[in-house]
Amino acid sequence: MEFALTEEQEFFKKMITETVDRMVVPKARQIDETDEFPWDLWRDFGRLGYLGLRYPEEVGGMNADPVTAMIFYEQIARGSVGFAQSVIMNILMGTYFIYRFGSDEIKARCLHPAMRGEKIGTMCFTEDQSGSDLSATRTTAVEEGGGWVINGTKMWITNGPIADMATVLATTDAKLGAKGLNFFLVEKGTPGFSAGQVLDKLGCRGTVTGELVFDNVRVPRENLLGEEKNKGTEYLGEILDEVRTMTGAMALGIAQAAFDEGLEYARKRVAFGKSIGSYQLIRAKFAEMATEMEASRLMVYYSAWRIKEKLSSRKEAAMAKMLATETCLRVVDEVTRIWGANGFAREFDPQRHFRDARFLLYGGGTHEIIKDFLGRQIIGKS
Amino acid sequence: MNIVVLAKQVPDSEALIEIKGTGEKLEIEQKFATSLFDEFALEEALRVRERLGGRVKVITLGTGRAVEVLRTAIAMGVDDVLLLDHEAFQDGDGYATALALSRAVAREARDIVLCGKQAVDDDRGEVGPMVAQFLGVPHVGSIVKLDIADGKAVAESLVDDGRVVVEVPLPAVLTAHKGLNEPRVPLVAGVMKAMRAKIPRATPEDLGLAPNQIGLAGSKVRIKRYVAPKKRSQVRFIDGDAYAAATEAVRSLMDVERVI
Repeated sequence: MEFALTEEQEFFKKMITETVDRMVVPKARQIDETDEFPWDLWRDFGRLGYLGLRYPEEVGGMNADPVTAMIFYEQIARGSVGFAQSVIMNILMGTYFIYRFGSDEIKARCLHPAMRGEKIGTMCFTEDQSGSDLSATRTTAVEEGGGWVINGTKMWITNGPIADMATVLATTDAKLGAKGLNFFLVEKGTPGFSAGQVLDKLGCRGTVTGELVFDNVRVPRENLLGEEKNKGTEYLGEILDEVRTMTGAMALGIAQAAFDEGLEYARKRVAFGKSIGSYQLIRAKFAEMATEMEASRLMVYYSAWRIKEKLSSRKEAAMAKMLATETCLRVVDEVTRIWGANGFAREFDPQRHFRDARFLLYGGGTHEIIKDFLGRQIIGKS
Repeated sequence: MNIVVLAKQVPDSEALIEIKGTGEKLEIEQKFATSLFDEFALEEALRVRERLGGRVKVITLGTGRAVEVLRTAIAMGVDDVLLLDHEAFQDGDGYATALALSRAVAREARDIVLCGKQAVDDDRGEVGPMVAQFLGVPHVGSIVKLDIADGKAVAESLVDDGRVVVEVPLPAVLTAHKGLNEPRVPLVAGVMKAMRAKIPRATPEDLGLAPNQIGLAGSKVRIKRYVAPKKRSQVRFIDGDAYAAATEAVRSLMDVERVI
């Protein structure tokens, strides 16, 4: 068995770690406090080429394999989850279907600028009454006049209010449930397409998240992103494992950031004449956190490796997402305890990690949904 | 303009370092980085190439993780790299290291040789001037500004309480000081290229050197033992009025603690 990153992946990890330390970490607190999208940082990452990381060189990407991409997701989340959320939406979900099914004109207009950070992409599933239950999607797309007319409202859309283009999940036949779903490209400026409410979130601040409204939005036939109609759910399956594993990688990043804060504090903070890190109960916390983080990291990268090797990864990705996120939640909690009352103060970072970690509970599927899925896989449907 | 940069892999500033046994050996945590002053040299080489054209080649001496220095250089945009990779090169003093590096440099077309003014691990500051000596070319140390024109380099160097502006004919060896530039963040295209790059290597034989001329065998200076710094009390009270106390605090942080 081989558990190590390759020399090349180790080098990538070193470089992205240094880049994040130098460019993202110093801005993380400001991004959180102002809750403003960091346009300068966004443009810098576009210029550096990270926004095209996972796409092939033929379309101007960097051809990073899934393990390398996971290293990037982990590190950028360690720097600032608010920024990472926007970047990853653009790199992965917000452009995948455009890359996969878009015409050359669509790619030139949407994908290539998004890879340079000149445009921002997003993907819309969630509505005010549905999330993981895709079959309950109420946004409709009706074929008309050689194109499509889209009506509906999407909610909780990462990058939504600032997006230049959206990949929108809509039903062409509500009676078919999940088998009637399709993805459509809608670009900013299309009549009837507008941003609604911007959400004031507990964490992941800096990412602009909110509502998108589609009011008789007409798009041409080629904006149906798929080779066949009504295959949206199937196409979604192509990136579901990567999305879930990526969520686990982000959880590792947040956990590591919190862990590092806790470690520094435990070494420096003195109580009763000794650093608190010399007390057994504090040491036990680090022993448990480090063990759980290591197990989560193995699971996340194992899942990424399976994706890279094109092995089935549905179970592993779900497990990795759930384990890493639950570990992250425990770590951020423990670190606020290690910091004592200071962990409750806005001027220090542990409370930011504590708030940010919560978001990962929902992205990529709630753990209730994931447990139900895994249970069915293990026990069987009946 | 052909530029050769000499760069060194050093322990990361956060790596744990322990003196083992009776002081004859160091145990260093396996966390490494490019020596800070060499990063300035590398960045300056790239800037000169951007202004005047030419090629930049980076040479390092070491094994294993030393490859990272060269991959980092490729990621930043250099044209060529070379690793002096052989056990016989290891554990040399400044003299033996400079001899090996100068032989490697001598094989290259070069107008300028750039390196850091010192490595941040042993802080001796010997290799740059010694390479110049072996090559028989001028040396300018601790530069913070560099202009190249008409086959000459005009450089500003830091000296006590000021700067000196000097002119030297090329080729020359220039050593970089903090303030020369701000090293760039590599483009991810460079990082990916660096990840996949094959690293050329050279042996002592390639450089026409016998094993007893280089590394520990060829060294003039032998380390007898390492001595840990004396432990100081964690808190020091500084007496005097506010101005004098603040001045002393800054002096202490710079000269004694060396944290700023």
